[in-house]
Amino acid sequence: MPDERTDSELLLASKDNPDAFTELYRRHAEDLLRYFARRTLDPETAAELTAETFAEAFASRQRYTDQGVNGVAWVYGIARHRLGRFFRTGRVDAAARQRLGMPERDLPPEDYERIEDLIDFAPIREALLEALETLSEDQREAMRLHVIDGLGYREVAERLRCSEANARQRVSRGLRRVALVLQERGLQLSSEVES
Amino acid sequence: MNTDIRYLQQLETDFEHVAAQERRRAASRKPSGRGGRGSRPPRRPTRSDRRWPSIAAAVVTLLIVAGSIGFLSQQVDTSSGDSSGADALAPAEVPGNGPATWQSRSTNRDGERLALDPITDTGADEQGGTPGVHYTTGDTKAPVGIGTTPQTQGDLSKIIRDGRIEVIVPTGEFAKNVTAVTRIAGTNGGFVLTSSTQNGQAGQFTLRIPAKRFDRAMDQLRRLGTVQSDAVTGDDVTAEFVDLQARLGILTDRRDLLRDLQSEATSSSEILRFATLIDQVQLEIENIQGQLNFIRDQVAEGTIKVSLRELGAPEAEEQQPTDVDKPSLGTAFNLALQGFLRVLGAVVVGLGYLIPIGVIALIVWFVVRLVRRRDREAS
Repeated sequence: MPDERTDSELLLASKDNPDAFTELYRRHAEDLLRYFARRTLDPETAAELTAETFAEAFASRQRYTDQGVNGVAWVYGIARHRLGRFFRTGRVDAAARQRLGMPERDLPPEDYERIEDLIDFAPIREALLEALETLSEDQREAMRLHVIDGLGYREVAERLRCSEANARQRVSRGLRRVALVLQERGLQLSSEVES
Repeated sequence: MNTDIRYLQQLETDFEHVAAQERRRAASRKPSGRGGRGSRPPRRPTRSDRRWPSIAAAVVTLLIVAGSIGFLSQQVDTSSGDSSGADALAPAEVPGNGPATWQSRSTNRDGERLALDPITDTGADEQGGTPGVHYTTGDTKAPVGIGTTPQTQGDLSKIIRDGRIEVIVPTGEFAKNVTAVTRIAGTNGGFVLTSSTQNGQAGQFTLRIPAKRFDRAMDQLRRLGTVQSDAVTGDDVTAEFVDLQARLGILTDRRDLLRDLQSEATSSSEILRFATLIDQVQLEIENIQGQLNFIRDQVAEGTIKVSLRELGAPEAEEQQPTDVDKPSLGTAFNLALQGFLRVLGAVVVGLGYLIPIGVIALIVWFVVRLVRRRDREAS
C-alpha cells in the first residue's frame, strides 16, 4: 500500500522513525540521479553524488524544519551544495556515507548505459563536439564512438582494442572533463526545475 | 522500489540497514532515558558539531602562539633596550655641562659593578664644569665624583630622581654611621624623611636631598662602607610639565577673557553666569598649579633610600606600605586589569607577526593547489 504522507511529513517523521526516510529515498532517488547525471554527464559521479546527498540528508534530518514547501526541496538544496563542491574540487566526498557506516559501492556495469539514458545527450550534442576538443586522444575517441556514434561499450572496446572496463573508464573520465568544461562555459545542460 | 538501476537498489538496502541500526540504537536508549515517552532522541552530532572543538583548539593555539611571540618580542625589545642602555649609560655631552650620572647603575652582592657606569671625576664642581669621565668596576670604594644634576642639562628638563643604596659597615660602627647619614642629609641641604633601626645593628633611612646635591650625597653614602648594591633612577616628567604649563597658560587667558566679559555684562543674570564660569576655570587653574608645584617639589629634591647594617647582622627588612602587605580589592583589580591588558597586548603584537606569515602561507597554498589542479586536469 502506497505511503500517502507528503515529503515534508516523511522527513519530520524520519526524525523519530528512520524508516520514513527510506520511503523518501524510494520516491526521489531516480530523479536525483537524473539531476546529477545531466549536470555531470558521468554515471559514476552522478551515482556517488546521489548516495552522498541522501546520506547527508539522513544524517542531518534532525535539523529539518517544515517551512511550507515540498520537503524534497531541502534534499535538492543539499544536492546543489554537493554539486557545487564537486565542480570546485573535481571529486565527490564520501564523508556522510562513512559517518553512517555505509559501504562505498561501485557502479554495476549494466547501470552505465541505463544512467546515460537518463542524461539525454541530444540537446547538448553540439556543445559536446566543441568540448571534445579539450580531451586527450584516447578519451576523445572513446567519447566520439559512445556518445556521438551511439555505440555500446563492447563495440567501443573492440574498436579501440581495449577492455570494456577500460573503454568505460575513458568515456567516464571524458564525460567528467566535458561536464567541467561546459560548466566553466556556463552552458545549461538541463532545464528541469527541482521541487 | 520502482527503478531498474541496480546501484539505487543497493543504496536502498544500505539505507534500510542504516535506518534499522538507528532504530535499534534508539530502542536501546529508551529504557535508561529519563525523558520518558515522546522525548526526542539526543541529536546526533553533525559534522559541524565535530568541527567546533578542532576550530576552538586551533584558535586557542593561535592565540597562545601569538601571545608567546608577543611576550618574546617584548622581551627582545626590553633586552635590546637594555643593551642600548649602554648608550644610555654613556655620558651625555651637554654643552656647558658635565656628563650626566643619573642613569641607573647596580652592583651585585659582592660589591662588584654589573655594568660599566660613567662616573664623573671627583672634584668636578656642582655646576658641571668639564669633568672627565671614568668607568669603574668592582671597587665600590673607589672615589667617585659629584655629577651634575639632570636639571642642569637644560632649563626645561624635569627629572624626578630616586636612589637606593645598601651599605655594610664594620661591626660596632652602626651608630656612628647613622649619625653620618643624618649629617650627609643635612650638609647637602636635605633631611631624613623616615628612619627605622633594628637591634642597633641595622636600619633603613629615607633621605630627601636637593636635586643638585643628589649625586654628592650618593657618593658620600657610598663612602660609609662596603656598598652591597646601589641604583639611581630618573623619571623624566618634562613632557607632562610642559603640557601642564601650556594648559595653565590657556586657562589663565580664558579666565582673563571671562573677567573682561563680566565687566561688560549689563544684567545680573549675565554677571552671575560669568562668575560661575570664572569659578570653574579658576578651579582648574589651581588644580594645575598644584600639579606643577608637586612636580617642581619632586624635581627639586630627590629621594634616597639607605639601608645600613653592620657586617654579619641580619638583613633589615624593608618596611612595606600597608597596602602591599594587605592588598585591597581595588589594588587587586588594578593588578588583574594590568595583567589582562599585558596579555592582550602580547597577543596583538604576536598577531602582528603571524598575520603576514599567514597571508604568505595562504598564497603559497593557493598556488600549490592551482598547480595540482592543473596537473590533475592535464592528466
